[in-house]
Amino acid sequence: MAGRFDMTAKVVSIREVAPETFLLTLHAPEIAEYAVPGQFVMIRPRQEAGFDPLLRRPFSIHRVHAQQEHIEILFRVVGRGTRLLAKVCRGSVLCVLGPLGKGFEVRPAKIPVLVGGGLGVAPLLFLADRLKGGKGVIILGALTKGFLLRLDAFSLTGLDVLVATEDGSFGNKGLVTEVLNRLLGRLEAESRRQIIVFSCGPIPMLRAVAGLSKSYQVECQVSLEAYMACGIGLCMGCAIRAGRQGYLHVCKDGPVFPANLIDWDQI
Amino acid sequence: MDGQVKGLRGRVDLRVSIGSLDLKNPVLLASGTCGYGAEIEDFVNLEDLGAIVVKGISLEPRQGNPPPRLAETPCGLLNAIGLENVGVEAFIKEKLPWLRERGITTIVNILGNSADEYEELARRLAGNKGIHGLEINISCPNVKKGGVAFGTDPQQAAEVTKRVVAATDLPVIVKLSPNVADICAIAVAVQEAGATAVSLINTLLGMAIDIEQRRPVLGNIFGGLSGPAIKPVALRMVWQVVRCVDIPVIGIGGITTHVDALEFLMAGACAIQIGTANLIDPTAPVKVVQGVIDFMQENNYFSLQALKISS
Ligand SMILES: Cc1cc2nc3c(=O)[nH]c(=O)nc-3n(C[C@H](O)[C@H](O)[C@H](O)COP(=O)(O)OP(=O)(O)OC[C@H]3O[C@@H](n4cnc5c(N)ncnc54)[C@H](O)[C@@H]3O)c2cc1C
Ligand SMILES: Cc1cc2nc3c(=O)[nH]c(=O)nc-3n(C[C@H](O)[C@H](O)[C@H](O)COP(=O)(O)O)c2cc1C
Ligand code: FES
Repeated sequence: MAGRFDMTAKVVSIREVAPETFLLTLHAPEIAEYAVPGQFVMIRPRQEAGFDPLLRRPFSIHRVHAQQEHIEILFRVVGRGTRLLAKVCRGSVLCVLGPLGKGFEVRPAKIPVLVGGGLGVAPLLFLADRLKGGKGVIILGALTKGFLLRLDAFSLTGLDVLVATEDGSFGNKGLVTEVLNRLLGRLEAESRRQIIVFSCGPIPMLRAVAGLSKSYQVECQVSLEAYMACGIGLCMGCAIRAGRQGYLHVCKDGPVFPANLIDWDQI
Repeated sequence: MDGQVKGLRGRVDLRVSIGSLDLKNPVLLASGTCGYGAEIEDFVNLEDLGAIVVKGISLEPRQGNPPPRLAETPCGLLNAIGLENVGVEAFIKEKLPWLRERGITTIVNILGNSADEYEELARRLAGNKGIHGLEINISCPNVKKGGVAFGTDPQQAAEVTKRVVAATDLPVIVKLSPNVADICAIAVAVQEAGATAVSLINTLLGMAIDIEQRRPVLGNIFGGLSGPAIKPVALRMVWQVVRCVDIPVIGIGGITTHVDALEFLMAGACAIQIGTANLIDPTAPVKVVQGVIDFMQENNYFSLQALKISS
């Protein structure tokens, strides 16, 4: 379990990239050096000493700029912690623990298809960056055009980018899973075996992605969330249902799991 | 700070003995908040601490409660982990060697559904090198006696204590539940039953409701409250128990800084355990040890005994 760091990271920049959605850049050399796509960090959302809110919050590593020793976090304001985090200023310092958990397992021999819905695109940019130069497809989805996140950055990776918005305001009208279904449906069984799906997003979307992958017999890895206290395997709080094996722990067994390990009916 | 404590061998004597259990210093890691040690070792040098109390162990592995298992409350944490653990056999085979090889002072927290189970656990653990003490978690429901927690009834608490003490040569610490009318009655009962020491408090029973979904937040509905929010209650109970028993008292509950630790030591605790603070900052225990040393040096306290308020 080497290479996890409890550090103070300087805020390099923070900006609102979509309504209530922020891109936070931190100077975190050790994390930038050791992180792999799919891993996350625990960030204390307040700067002063004190106990409220008490816990750190988990966030996927959105992207790494190795040379500048920067990591990026893409987050949405949903409660107290993220509201506080949205108020940090450039130059201030945050307590950050990471990189944590198991990331995506890339298979160089396979063609990656990245499927991200809403904020689920967060861990996928880091992955897309690492896949740069190769073949691959990214399917991004959002409710409407205004909520599409980081389209430019994804396009710059050189992978094929497909977009779905539920209201049809941009790209295909509908869900990312419909795009995925068409893409996989078009392929011969032989070519399908070359595909690997990496996905992150809301549970109903992941359930559908996992279902499609299963029926097309395509390997699928998903990034999941759970309430966390420690993020490092101390408390057993981040359990999710995993078929017959009882529970898995998102912070150490995940957050990226083979989709077939998860009990999709109970999660 | 890099997880190392400075001044451990300075003029301040931090050593504590709890029966035959000799501790380098009075700062321990609380059960359920430090895994089995290996999970936290990147952040603290476990040898710099008094001891580690590992996650509660039962005879059979336990899966734990359905999620969500955690809810944050003001300055506190509700948990309903449901005592998920690997079971005693896997603990001995897979977890204990790691602790033993590093020479880490290890206290095993045990839990059962009946006095028989507690006794059996003590027996299975006996004779395994690398275990320095047992801590009995009596906050579990007694399945045979209608699910009432052992820890809420002096007679049952005494019975479990007696059985465990008879089955082991190790020091036996009984961990008391705060969810009782009179904690001193339980403390006195387990002292008479042969406990080497008592530790307190375990978590306070609580709950939270999600008003949007109109349902309890925790999968288990109820959970145990821990963290800074419970410190005043814990401190009061430690103060009371110190003054009604003669055996050593280990203080637990919301300790996050050296100031908290010193409060418990002044109240008369011989040692303290750090729980929830590990979850929010895994380097907290080392900072607490360092802070206690610095405070004692600056204020010319040369022993832990000198800190105690005698009234
Ligand atoms: C491995 C992992 C990676 C994550 N990556 C990102 C990310 O890249 N960007 C991002 O914006 N968010 C991410 N999250 C979710 C993020 O941690 C929560 O949104 C955040 O903790 C909410 O904190 P809060 O104090 O604002 O909200 P709270 O006041 O604690 O809660 C507000 C709402 O958020 C929900 N919530 C709280 N904690 C979590 C959680 N851990 N998971 C899911 N929902 C939660 C609650 O159910 C509640 O409805 C991730 C979570 C995990 C476990
Ligand atoms: C996530 C979690 C798991 C716990 N598991 C156990 C356990 O297995 N056995 C036990 O005796 N106490 C357990 N406790 C209680 C703690 O050891 C401690 O008594 C309590 O949390 C109060 O201390 P604190 O406020 O410092 O956390 C647990 C506490 C937490 C937060
Ligand atoms: S969050 Fe504590 S074990 Fe996963």
